[in-house]
Amino acid sequence: MSQDAPRTQPSGNGGGEEPRIGVFICHCGGNISDVVDVKRVAEEISRIPGVVISTTHMFACSDPGQAMIEQKIKELNLNRVIVAACSPSLHELTFRRTLARAGLNQYLYEHTNIREQDSWVVNDKELATQKATRLIRAAVARVPHLAPLQKRVIPIHPSVLVIGGGIAGLTAASCLASRGIAVTLIESSPFLGGRMSRLAGLFPTGKQARDLLRPVMDAVINNPKVTIHTNAEMIQSTGFIGNFRTTVRLLPRGVEATVANVQAAIDACPEQTEDDFNFALTKRKAIYFPYDGCYPSHPAIDWKSCTKCGKCVEAVGAKGINLAEEPREIEIQSGVILIAVGLDLYQPRLGEYGFGQFREVISLAQLNRILDPKGPTGGKLVVNGRQVRSIGFMHCVGSMQQKGVHPPGPDGRMNDYCSRVCCTATLHAETELKTRYPNLQIYDFHEDIRTYGRWHEDYYSQASEQGVAFVRFNPLRPPQVERDPREEMPLLVRTIDRLTFGEELEVPLDVLVLATGLVARDMARLVDLFRCSVGPDRFLLEVHPKLRPVELAVFGLFLAGSVQGPMDTVESTAGAAAASAKAATLISQGSIELDPFIARIAEEVCSGCRICLTVCPYDAITRDDAKKVAVINEAVCTGCGTCVATCPCNAITQFGFTDDEVKSEILALLARVPAAATA
Amino acid sequence: MTETVATVQTPQMTPAVWEPRIIGFLCYWCSYTGADSAGTARMKYPANVDIIKVMCSGRIDPELIATAFASGADGVMVLGCHIGDCHYISGNHKTMVRMPLMRRILEDLGVEPERFRHEWVSAAEGEKFSKLVTEITEQVRELGPLNWPQLMRERGVGHGTDLRPWGE
Repeated sequence: MSQDAPRTQPSGNGGGEEPRIGVFICHCGGNISDVVDVKRVAEEISRIPGVVISTTHMFACSDPGQAMIEQKIKELNLNRVIVAACSPSLHELTFRRTLARAGLNQYLYEHTNIREQDSWVVNDKELATQKATRLIRAAVARVPHLAPLQKRVIPIHPSVLVIGGGIAGLTAASCLASRGIAVTLIESSPFLGGRMSRLAGLFPTGKQARDLLRPVMDAVINNPKVTIHTNAEMIQSTGFIGNFRTTVRLLPRGVEATVANVQAAIDACPEQTEDDFNFALTKRKAIYFPYDGCYPSHPAIDWKSCTKCGKCVEAVGAKGINLAEEPREIEIQSGVILIAVGLDLYQPRLGEYGFGQFREVISLAQLNRILDPKGPTGGKLVVNGRQVRSIGFMHCVGSMQQKGVHPPGPDGRMNDYCSRVCCTATLHAETELKTRYPNLQIYDFHEDIRTYGRWHEDYYSQASEQGVAFVRFNPLRPPQVERDPREEMPLLVRTIDRLTFGEELEVPLDVLVLATGLVARDMARLVDLFRCSVGPDRFLLEVHPKLRPVELAVFGLFLAGSVQGPMDTVESTAGAAAASAKAATLISQGSIELDPFIARIAEEVCSGCRICLTVCPYDAITRDDAKKVAVINEAVCTGCGTCVATCPCNAITQFGFTDDEVKSEILALLARVPAAATA
Repeated sequence: MTETVATVQTPQMTPAVWEPRIIGFLCYWCSYTGADSAGTARMKYPANVDIIKVMCSGRIDPELIATAFASGADGVMVLGCHIGDCHYISGNHKTMVRMPLMRRILEDLGVEPERFRHEWVSAAEGEKFSKLVTEITEQVRELGPLNWPQLMRERGVGHGTDLRPWGE
């Protein structure tokens, strides 16, 4: 690869030419010049051989300041420029552009920080002036070594891979496809729709989840730009921004779309397994479809519970069902990748608020299935065959966990964060129940209620007006759930209510609903493949929550929806739309320019020892076994320079931070300047 | 420029009042920004540490540290992102392993451990940065000049090599 890399190689301009250095020292209005004697610094620097001009300006970054620099570059034929001013994080780019406007390569520039790291931190004017002189002297020593680098230009394949077929993945796919971009959507389960398809009425509109999901799904299904693979699991991904190659294993569906008399096949299946669509409230067959109107609309075989007895095959006359099909692998090429794998529900521990111990303790997800008009009870509030008279809701189950109160999870960590969605979801369920069953007794056990979103607070007001009894417990002493000793009701919740200043309550209940929190999925494979950053809450971490909220640190990877943290559908769709806009921007550019500060291997020096391969955080280095040398993939290299420090042969250099550049700085900083020069 | 460096490095030109000269190698994303935030907050600290910016502390070749000491530094600081915060995922893991080894090598050469400081400073830790600069400056001031060429002569290191750059 390195021999094909002329774009970042220094051209003639960098090496042989005699340096003509221009040094511009900024007053920063007084921020610098009140402490540093800039005139004296400029005068001292002007005496260094190679410095053609050394001058000061009140505001170098202002239009007149930049115009002056531009003019001096042209007038004096400068080929190296130094501006000593604020931190490079503020104006390095500004002055690089000034150089470009003056027709000079923008990387023949050095920015010296004499404000944040000198005038603002050194009290003594003499010492500050000396420090500024040293720092600029180091820059003067450094710039002759600079090379006229060029940005890397990487072409981008005009296609997107979306991982995840839930609301976020579907929204992103629909947005991208509507812009005419080719999208491949992969979903690990046999059906699209994800977690949203299992919800009932949604806040803040009260509309049924699947009615909202349907148009998004239709937009994706009906767009010829989208290729959908269900039962698809990502197993490998190589490449980089512009050209990812992802290997996907496709599990056979077992059932063809053309199969006739599907119901007979389902009826023939002797297996009974827990229906995960209904969160184990019901049983289903091994050949199944989760709900009416699902996509794809023909059933799939659940290979975990199928015994391959062949009864379904007989039922359809051996046409359209194949139990012997093998998984196959396909490779998907894409310019960028959107990760929309969503999240998981917290699984309460055995015995946590009686979960798993009493059949009357259910999760909010299960209640949502019960409230669904097309759910297992037809929308009737029946639990374990009993009409419910009194129901309790427990907030923050698996969220806001505290040391000493909750045991840590299997990985030793706690869910100490707020899952955000559950408070409003709980209140929404309460108002819905009160509207349907005005005489139902509802108790809301909480340590805190956070209805943070737009219109969310309305559900709290409505629930209060409708007579929901709110009980606030101390999180350090959570309520106890037990069998009702008087057997009036199946359950009894004992707690101390802070709203009535410590009243001890015993609340008999038919059903207790746990508002289980939202947790990150097990994404070890994904994190490993894409080198994703992971937050302390185990969700994937964006580059910057405000400036780059839907991007991963690895170029070309975007985050869509609740893979980033607990979100409701409103936030998930917004995040997915943002990610697809970002992806579309990249695709429409056709290519991307990256900074040239990457590492390069001198093949004639490289011994092929492979040590650099092991230290690269991005696996950007491979070994050319024919030539017996290491090769850096320019598009993957991010320019950290770790390999440079590792190479035992000094065969690797990093543009912008070569050994010559850094060492010349060291020498100049430490040079003992004659007393006469500092006086 | 090379000319300037060569002429000013002779020991007899050392100024009468000795001030510690310390080189700080800082990664750009965390520690350099941390140093900037110390500036933005106008925290005062000694002017003895001169900062050299690198993109990642993983770039800091031990050779650069040796070069600094051999060229007249009385102390060296290496600052990087906290473990887990590296902008380049794991560049600082290499720093974490290299620096303790470097400290031992320096000790073997007779360089007091107080002259070499390796710490993690995040972009928000301006206060920690200014504290570290103050600490190392005071420690090095107490120890006095390092005087590497004499040290090498005493230790018998570099025998037969060209010591002219150090005034031999």
